[in-house]
Amino acid sequence: MSKIGVFICHCGENISATVDCARVAQAAAEMEGVAYATDYKYMCSEPGQQLIRQAIREHNLDGVVVGSCSPRMHEPTFRRACAEAGLNPYLCEIANLREHCSWVHEKGEATTQKAIDIVQGLVEKVRRNQPLTPIRVPVTKKALVIGGGIAGIQAALDIANCGHRVILVEKEPSIGGHMAQLSETFPTLDCSQCILTPRMVEVAQHPNITLYTYAEVESVEGFIGNFKATIRLKAKSVDEKKCTGCGLCTTKCPNKKIPGEFNEGLGTRTAIYVPFPQAVPNKPVIDKEHCNYYQKGKCRVCEKFCPTGAITFDQPDQFITEEVGAIVVTTGFRVLPTSFFPEYGYGRYKDVITGIQFERLASASGPTMGEIRRPSDGTVPKKVVFIACCGSRDPAKGIPYCSKICCMYTAKHAMLYQHKVHDGESTVFYMDIRAGGKNYEEFVRRAIEEDKVNYVRGRVARVYERADGKLVVRGVDTLLGAQQVEIEADMVVLATAGVANPGAEELAQKLHISYDPYHFFAEAHPKLRPVETNTAGIYLAGACQAPKDIPETVATASGAAAKVVSLLSQDDLVREPLVAVVNRCAPPVYSTCVGCFLCQTACPYQAIEREEIKDRQGRVIKTVAKVNPGLCQGCGTCVSFCRSKAIDIQGYSNEQMYAEVNALLNHE
Amino acid sequence: MNNWNKQIADMLADGTVALVIGYEEGSTPQKTRPLFCHDAVAAERLVMDGRCTHNLAVYLTKKELLPAEGRIGVVATVNVLKSALQLMQENQIPEGRFLLMAVGPEGKLTELPDAESLRQYIAAHPLPDNPEVAALIEKIDAMSREERWAYWQECLSKCVKCYACRAACPLCYCTRCIVEDNRPQWILPWASTLPNIEWQINRVMHMAGRCTGCGACYAACPLHLPIHLLTKKLTQEINREFGTERPAKGNVLSTFSPDDKENFIH
Ligand SMILES: Cc1cc2nc3c(=O)[nH]c(=O)nc-3n(C[C@H](O)[C@H](O)[C@H](O)COP(=O)(O)OP(=O)(O)OC[C@H]3O[C@@H](n4cnc5c(N)ncnc54)[C@H](O)[C@@H]3O)c2cc1C
Ligand code: SF4
Ligand code: SF4
Repeated sequence: MSKIGVFICHCGENISATVDCARVAQAAAEMEGVAYATDYKYMCSEPGQQLIRQAIREHNLDGVVVGSCSPRMHEPTFRRACAEAGLNPYLCEIANLREHCSWVHEKGEATTQKAIDIVQGLVEKVRRNQPLTPIRVPVTKKALVIGGGIAGIQAALDIANCGHRVILVEKEPSIGGHMAQLSETFPTLDCSQCILTPRMVEVAQHPNITLYTYAEVESVEGFIGNFKATIRLKAKSVDEKKCTGCGLCTTKCPNKKIPGEFNEGLGTRTAIYVPFPQAVPNKPVIDKEHCNYYQKGKCRVCEKFCPTGAITFDQPDQFITEEVGAIVVTTGFRVLPTSFFPEYGYGRYKDVITGIQFERLASASGPTMGEIRRPSDGTVPKKVVFIACCGSRDPAKGIPYCSKICCMYTAKHAMLYQHKVHDGESTVFYMDIRAGGKNYEEFVRRAIEEDKVNYVRGRVARVYERADGKLVVRGVDTLLGAQQVEIEADMVVLATAGVANPGAEELAQKLHISYDPYHFFAEAHPKLRPVETNTAGIYLAGACQAPKDIPETVATASGAAAKVVSLLSQDDLVREPLVAVVNRCAPPVYSTCVGCFLCQTACPYQAIEREEIKDRQGRVIKTVAKVNPGLCQGCGTCVSFCRSKAIDIQGYSNEQMYAEVNALLNHE
Repeated sequence: MNNWNKQIADMLADGTVALVIGYEEGSTPQKTRPLFCHDAVAAERLVMDGRCTHNLAVYLTKKELLPAEGRIGVVATVNVLKSALQLMQENQIPEGRFLLMAVGPEGKLTELPDAESLRQYIAAHPLPDNPEVAALIEKIDAMSREERWAYWQECLSKCVKCYACRAACPLCYCTRCIVEDNRPQWILPWASTLPNIEWQINRVMHMAGRCTGCGACYAACPLHLPIHLLTKKLTQEINREFGTERPAKGNVLSTFSPDDKENFIH
């Protein structure tokens, strides 16, 4: 026989204005299992809480129902009060008499009766409540950051500066990402490398950061606070400890005509190479696909010249495992190549280039030392056409979204071009100008008004090469009544859509995080949890979520770092015990779970594992489902899926909920 | 003796299998019945023809009927194979424990050792749709909501809750069925119209995306209640909403992909 206390709060007049609180308390006193019932003006006040504590002690209560406001408001308050009086806090339940009753009904008999019913439901539930204890999950105080662009760099530094260790994994030979390739950055036109490279160096030198370049995450197991990541360190063919980064090898390698990735194919590199002069780490790797030795078995010139004997041919890839408590995914994005666009020549015309290629032309460290020279013949183009929204906002191309950064960088490109080629003429074809951001609109106006960039609103239907070799851009000007326009150009720059990296889907599957139809990673909530994923302990930042500019990338990176730090600053994760459990019962059944594991695929948080029930000799009697309390979010999906009713949510068991609902339905 | 009977007799004799489950002549010439062959002599009695309708897959999860050690052969119909494949996907039969075999038209015995071979065999041997069942479903579909409710009430009021449908279904393998659960008592235990309907709704919902359409439930019902129409209709609904492909792991209702259309939210 239970001894339940029922405490009805007036909430000032919020409840008592329409509900007869004294009558609810009286009715509650009559309910089966209720030992004590009362009402009070402000239950949440100190005297109100004192009332509860005292009643628990005096009447030896083994359950409490507080009829008050929403549990979102004061459940913690009342549970704490109960705990102070020695009652397990999970034996206290809230009957929501305010939001569910008094606020939404008029004063009257029916309203009071509804309040009584709600209390009755909760009394029935509490009679079946079990004492619960919070779950403690240990936390490994180390973070893994995947992707060394500005997002990864920023997140790694922020976490490391809070005193936690960070593993940063970058798949290329150097960190830096796209930002390292940029010339100057909107809206301030400061030099990208000048603001980025100091941070790259800081990463390399930070005592709390371990940097693995030329590396990729192979697999991830585990859960929040306790991940285990296997990382593949691709063989660099260069012993980093011996290499001094003198660069002699890169001058001696006979294979000099390889299109360089960093310069987007506008410059060349050797087979043993450092992607760019400011690379971090500044040590070369051998690109096996282009190396004479790896391909044809002969050469080893670099080995002969290396003064420290650092070249190590034929080393296998290495695998290491790292235990980490949190993961930040910052793998960025890429832009579509010109070959994606049949209407703009399928990448056949040398002088039709992408925006990122233009960045390399404009960059002082680029193939032309920052002079705008077109790729075909190296002359300075006098007429340049920039085409915005190439692929973006085009459902027919499968990219209905706006790539967000192109309006701004196109304005920047036209502006940089005008600054460098004073007698040049630039035209921008655009759909709309989207310049939402601090100083962004002003920046675009400056391009138009001060730098005299010719903005034409309209789509470009075609770019083709005339018989005399000139490029012709044909489009419409929608502001001139959709008039056809044809412009000759020496060079055309396409602001191609920002899309997800090729391996994004695979990585998402490894990490068990969700992604959208375009393979950008999905946030747990687009507004309120913008840097979290649906998998606890895994966070997102930067352009891997959607195309983003640098300020937004850095902001999300610091946001993700703050989430990681708040996780890693705890020794144990304390979690509400409102998680699913798979039942146990007497032999020979052991558990009503039949091991169909359909719940396993249903769980959105990958919280369900397999467990073997063994006898004393260690023989497996039965394989059943097991819920990992560290991962379970208590959503209840598995409960509704289990045909054998073998899973229950603690605190919301089938039995409890059934009793509550029955009580609500069963009155005359 | 047929060639395949001989082959099976040999398998039993040399210990390749410890038991073979199949069919033998029944009590009337129109019927066959399940046969458990523990030795080569019994294998002579095995038959396989159009009269074999009993779904033998129901025995595959009954540990108490099976030897503790050794492989178990099953001379299976396509319906048995479909159920066995579903059981594999639901982790109910350990890999390598059963050797499923199909008998071809010339008495050729085909061994189907794993899920993939089962899948291929089933795809190559589609079962024809039963026009009578389709006609009945159409008839019920054409009814108004009230008529339909009245129809099922009338029909299921006759159910005696013998649970023969459950016993005959290879996919009803729970150790404790929801009807035996009394904390809470989800379904009232006695036989009367509403609890009977509750039972059938539960049975059918538990088959969602799993039912292979073998018809064993209907065949087992001593009152010949057309309960297979419910599972059949549910299968149609699922095919319409999710397509006819079933995921290799999990269930149509438990697996999702981010590009799933959300047009099921009406
Ligand atoms: C043409 C152009 C001009 C731009 N101009 C400006 C500008 O002027 N101002 C501005 O604010 N923004 C500009 N941007 C936007 C800017 O480039 C991005 O905001 C920024 O690069 C995003 O940083 P990120 O770290 O998220 O991604 P990225 O820069 O793409 O970096 C991702 C990193 O992760 C690595 N990686 C990828 N996959 C893996 C993996 N599986 N494992 C390990 N590592 C991986 C990549 O190699 C890369 O180093 C421009 C973009 C373009 C295309
Ligand atoms: S808990 Fe239920 S759904 Fe999960 S494996 Fe066990 S029986 Fe299947
Ligand atoms: S309650 Fe939700 S999160 Fe927890 S195990 Fe079940 S399905 Fe997974």
